[in-house]
Order: sequence, then structure tokens, then C-alpha cells
Amino acid sequence: MSPFRCARERELSDLLHKGHWPQACPEDLRKHVVSCRSCSDLVLITGTLQASRKQTAELPRLAPAGTIWWRAQLRRRNAAIEKMSRPIVGAQIFALAMVLVVIAAIAVWQFGNWSAWLSDLPDTLHLAALIPTSISTQESGLLWVVVPVAVMIALLSGIVVYLASEKQ
Amino acid sequence: MSWESIIPNVLAGETQALAGTAPSAAMDNEQFADFYARTARSLWAYLARVSRDPALADDLTQEAYVRFLCANHPEDGEVAARRYLFKIATNLLRDHWRRPQSSSIDEIPEHVFAAGSDELQSDSLMMVGPAMAQMRPRDRQLLWLAYAEGYSHHEIAQITGLGSASIRILLFRARRKMASLLRCGGEA
Repeated sequence: MSPFRCARERELSDLLHKGHWPQACPEDLRKHVVSCRSCSDLVLITGTLQASRKQTAELPRLAPAGTIWWRAQLRRRNAAIEKMSRPIVGAQIFALAMVLVVIAAIAVWQFGNWSAWLSDLPDTLHLAALIPTSISTQESGLLWVVVPVAVMIALLSGIVVYLASEKQ
Repeated sequence: MSWESIIPNVLAGETQALAGTAPSAAMDNEQFADFYARTARSLWAYLARVSRDPALADDLTQEAYVRFLCANHPEDGEVAARRYLFKIATNLLRDHWRRPQSSSIDEIPEHVFAAGSDELQSDSLMMVGPAMAQMRPRDRQLLWLAYAEGYSHHEIAQITGLGSASIRILLFRARRKMASLLRCGGEA
């Protein structure tokens, strides 16, 4: 016999959970419960907690089953989408990183050629001819061309983006 | 192009294999509604009595069912499903207790558990609240699962994650303490 369990406890427990205690149980078991502390504790606790369960279970105002079902569906779908998109996002990040690496490599490799080409560009395009002679002599002469062109490009870009987003 | 047009089946909830879950295969909406009607009150009673916080029990009951539906629960009958549900609820309670608390659960007044039915208000039943308040949360869990829900030691071990041998000893001690408290009117 276990020090933590009376030999008749299982029998008594079965009777308690079937609702056979005390009427439908043997007389000797009833006498045993009176003399056994472990079994009398079991009867007291089981009876009290089962009554408490019955009482407490009447209290809640439960949420409708449909609401819980809908919440579960929503959570499953979000989890599915997240699981699907995880490798795609990873691939996009990897592709972007590769593009940046290639651009950086080309920039380093061709730095000498590009710097010479950029320095010759104003002469090649004859930009000096576009500037009025009155301001072409000043230091900031080139700004009079560059700033309006940049503003124009920014305006046109804004209009294009607006039209494109409106179409979508 | 949106994700909805790329993976319409995912949004339709038809790709359980992709989600790694298969709840609807085991239980449809109507089956769930029946299961919920049969089990929700006893689950709420368990959570409310162990946490001593009816509002928390409301939240955790809903969360337990949502997780139950999202998880790959056992498909060998309602008894196993019910046990699995109690396991989820037990884990949610444990997570709740691990989080920093803004207020103590002991501040919840016991009168919220007082039902309107007078015939149930026996002496020992009136003492349940004060006696449970004197017990540790784990002891409350074990006592409720064993004596209110009628789970075996093996089932309680599955629900709580404790060893069966430990449960026998813990239950013996908790039962003895609870019985003493009930006999002494809920006072230690």
C-alpha cells in the first residue's frame, strides 16, 4: 500500500465520480470512510469541488462559438500568409543585396573611366552655350541651369507618380 | 498584384498543409459549436476557480479555443480533444502568471463566484473560495482537475506537464491541506 493512498481509495473515487456515493455503496466502505482520514478527505473534497464546479459553470456569459471559429480562421489565414511570404521576403532581400554588390563592384572597377567621362560631360554637351553671357562669367553660373532642370524633373516625377497611383 | 490573387487558396483557408495545421479536417463549424457547448462552461469554471479571476477566465477561455482550432489537436475522440483543451488552458494560465502583474489575483473578490442557486450553498461549498485562496495556484489546478473534473493522475500529467509520481504526492498534500481548511472554515 502506498503511503499516499489508501487501498480502498480507487473504489471510493469511482463511486464518487459515478454519483453512487453514499446511497449505492457497500456498508463496509461507508464504515471505512468514517475511520480512514484519507478516504474521508477524498469524500469531502470531491463532493465540495464537484458542487463548486456545477455552481461555477452556471456563471459565465460565453462568447458565441461562431465568433471564436471566425477568430481562429482569421489567425490561421494570417499564419499561412506569413509562412508563405517569409521565404519570398528572404529571396527579395538576397536579390537586392546581390544587385547592390554588383553595382558597387562595377563602380569600383570603372571608377577611373567614369570620372574622366563626367568631367568632360559639360564640354561635350556645350552646356556653357546655354548660360546667358551675363551670368556665365559668375561662379554660380551653372546653378542657373541645374536648379530649374532639377525642379522640373521633380515636378514631372510627382505628376507621373500621381497619375500612376490614380490609375491603380 | 496582391497576395490574394497569388495565393487565393491560402486566403480561402484551404491550404492546411501549408499552414501546418489541420483543424477543419478534424472539426467543422457545426461540430465545433457542439463541442464548445459541451465543454466551454467546465473550462471556464476551471480557469475561474484556479485563477480566481472571472474576467481573466473569459479571456483565456476564448484564447484556448482559438488555439485549439489553430493547432493540430489529437483526433482520437472528444475525451482526448477535451484533455488537449485543458492542456492549452493550463499553459495559458502558466504564461499569464509568468508575466509581470499589474494587480494581484488575490484582489479579486470572492463574491463574484456566489451563484444565485441557494440549494448549492452548503457549508463546505461556501468555504471553497476562502479555502482555494489559501492554496497555491498549482495545488488549485491539481485539485480541480482531479476532483472536480475527475481526471486520472496520468491525464493530469499530460495536461500539466508534471510527472505522474509527483502528482500523486502533490495531490495527497494538497488534498489534506484543503480538507483541513474546509473543516476549519477556510482559515489556516
